[in-house]
Amino acid sequence: MLINHPLLGPRDAAEFVVKGDAALIGRPDGMTASPQEMHDYAYLRDNPAGTHRELWYHEQGDRSWLVVTRDTLTHEVLDVALARDVARAEGRSR
Amino acid sequence: MADITLTAAPILGLDLTLGANTLRERDDLALVSVATPQGGEDALAKALKAGFKLAMPEPTRSTQAGDTHAIRTAADQMLLVFPHDGPDANTMVQGKLKGAGYTTDQTDVWVVIEASGPDTLAALERLCPLDLHDSAFPVGASARTVMEHMGAMILRMDADRFLLLSASSSAGSFAHALETSYKNVI
Repeated sequence: MLINHPLLGPRDAAEFVVKGDAALIGRPDGMTASPQEMHDYAYLRDNPAGTHRELWYHEQGDRSWLVVTRDTLTHEVLDVALARDVARAEGRSR
Repeated sequence: MADITLTAAPILGLDLTLGANTLRERDDLALVSVATPQGGEDALAKALKAGFKLAMPEPTRSTQAGDTHAIRTAADQMLLVFPHDGPDANTMVQGKLKGAGYTTDQTDVWVVIEASGPDTLAALERLCPLDLHDSAFPVGASARTVMEHMGAMILRMDADRFLLLSASSSAGSFAHALETSYKNVI
């Protein structure tokens, strides 16, 4: 499987480590969130049959975190973006 | 008291001739990584130009001025590779960049092997997952990837000359993989 890295172009999936659901980017504010919200963030994941956003780490490459959108039924990779850009767009980072 | 003098030693002392190809360790090169401070891209580009006559390397490419190469290793990081004698490469780079980048001496972290000769491309194709053909990986192209399960950097210096970097702790295994690959294609 090839991951089309936004900076480096197509790279072999073997260079990456998969972290899982990209919803991890949206961590609640630990000082204001309720225990239930923190529990849901830490333990609950969607497991869709279809389009899924995942965090991928380019460990054997430029050490970047990516958000890979792929179809879990067909393994088609639909979109790859730098997690930094996604987090900024969602107001998570400076 | 014993009178002890420390002298620099190469990691492998590798110097092989395999058919018409050579595989040798470049222990004359110093490696210093430079990270870009947040919002400091322009200042670092100017300092790099003034101090080393180098342009900032774009992703998948390197830049060169004389014997000095700048390899882009990550989104906000590059690696400077240059001939240098002595343990003070980091201090020298800091002096030239004047605080425009965050530097770390990487000289002893990586083993640097220069692979050259007409069978080099064929030997590397068996180890490197990247497309190394001239159209995809021209002279000056660089990448950080994995070869034979070991993290590696690769820089194309000429049509049939490559600079390969891998962890010094597994340098022997890396050199063995290269030598074996050459022997398989010659």
